[in-house]
Amino acid sequence: MIVAVLFWVFSAVAVVTGWLVFRTDSMVRAAYWLMASFVSVGGILILVGSDFLGLILILMMAGEMTIMAIFMVMFMMNPAGLNPMTMVHQHRTAIVSGAGAFLALAAVGLLAEFPDRPVAAGVDATVELGVELLGESMLVFETAGVALLAVMIGSVALVSKNGRYGPADEGSVEPTLEVEES
Amino acid sequence: MEVALSVVAVGLILLVSVYLVDVADTAIGYSVSGMQGGVASWKAPLVTAARLMLRRRTETERPDREAWALAPPLLGGLAAVALTAIPLSAGLDVADIPVGIVLFGAAMIQVMVAVFLHGWGPNSVFPMIGAFRMAAVGLSIGIPFSLVLITTALPAESLSVGVIIESQQDLWNVLRQPLGLPIYLVTALGFSFWGPGQLPDGADLAGGTNVESSGPALLVWRVSRAAVLVAVSAMGTAAFLGGYLGPALPGWLWMVAKTAAVALVLIWTGHRIARVRVEGMVRLGWLVLLPLALVDVFVSGALTL
Repeated sequence: MIVAVLFWVFSAVAVVTGWLVFRTDSMVRAAYWLMASFVSVGGILILVGSDFLGLILILMMAGEMTIMAIFMVMFMMNPAGLNPMTMVHQHRTAIVSGAGAFLALAAVGLLAEFPDRPVAAGVDATVELGVELLGESMLVFETAGVALLAVMIGSVALVSKNGRYGPADEGSVEPTLEVEES
Repeated sequence: MEVALSVVAVGLILLVSVYLVDVADTAIGYSVSGMQGGVASWKAPLVTAARLMLRRRTETERPDREAWALAPPLLGGLAAVALTAIPLSAGLDVADIPVGIVLFGAAMIQVMVAVFLHGWGPNSVFPMIGAFRMAAVGLSIGIPFSLVLITTALPAESLSVGVIIESQQDLWNVLRQPLGLPIYLVTALGFSFWGPGQLPDGADLAGGTNVESSGPALLVWRVSRAAVLVAVSAMGTAAFLGGYLGPALPGWLWMVAKTAAVALVLIWTGHRIARVRVEGMVRLGWLVLLPLALVDVFVSGALTL
């Protein structure tokens, strides 16, 4: 009973906060509304018995969303991200793709036959997950992991050295305020 | 019923320990500066609390009201959540979940979000700088912090804090994994933004995220900040110092005494060690602590096999 109530509460919070991501006018708020949505999904994962996955999701999203907020602020010409700005653009494309994705997922949800295989009470989901990650599926996960690591190292190498105002490791020089006369 | 009781118990434990943290902070401050504190140290937290309760709130221009109001209670709630995973004595914990140490880690990383929102909320320059400082420090020391904690799960073969404590019957993790506790304490100072790690709301930033805070909100923030210090001290005790294990005395007394000792060390650093600069903290995290934490993982993992 409590589990069912919590499930619907978490689901509602996940959907509403996900909607608020696009309704708010600030990048930082959008990032943390998204985090609230993910935290609710983490709560649902814990409810279905995946304690580890749920908590890891909550743990990772705190870092991810903070990084995302900082990067958005860095890329926008907006001091510290404090100025309000709209979070939606390309309205027609967004509406079409959003409605399409919703219909496709709803169709899957209604039409697919979901397996009904209750897990035995004594099974530790965390152990099962570890065996899966480092057993049968090890090659898949390790390949993806190494590929992602290579991408991260590559992107850091691409952006690290030369900033807009000179080499990043020598300190930046501010652009001059005076207009040069030609 | 039992759940409600344990929630009340966690709240009470946190309130009492927060009071004691502030008393210790004041007393150590007096002793370091060669003054006689005496009764003043015991009264100081209550006087500060009463004064803050009476002070009015500050208003700023176009603040992010929700974030600003949410941050202080969120910080305190996270400290309480983190504490629920740590047993006071054998079997005496609120959330005896099999992945307790991950619950603690998740709560601690979310502390960074609470501090960021606290600095973001008032729409003001110094709090904003404090928020970005916390993000820089938190992201830099978060990985070594999590790695040394997870490493204690290797000999225990469990992520449950209770099992991790029991696995230290023969040898405490502070000796079995000598790199663990030092790295943990340094990163814990960053996450509880205390002492040399007090960057987001330090005096060098005129109060940082706290510049625009006043009255009850500031009181809740200070209480929550001390609660986070209690939580990291308790986890340091459980993960590295054998938790409630000890001869003769009852388990909970050992747990309380060891946690108090760790907390006193952390508080003491605030009076004896200068604040580290943000660049220094970031460099320390990525270039020193992260490689050392990886060595800790690999060596401890090999020894466990």
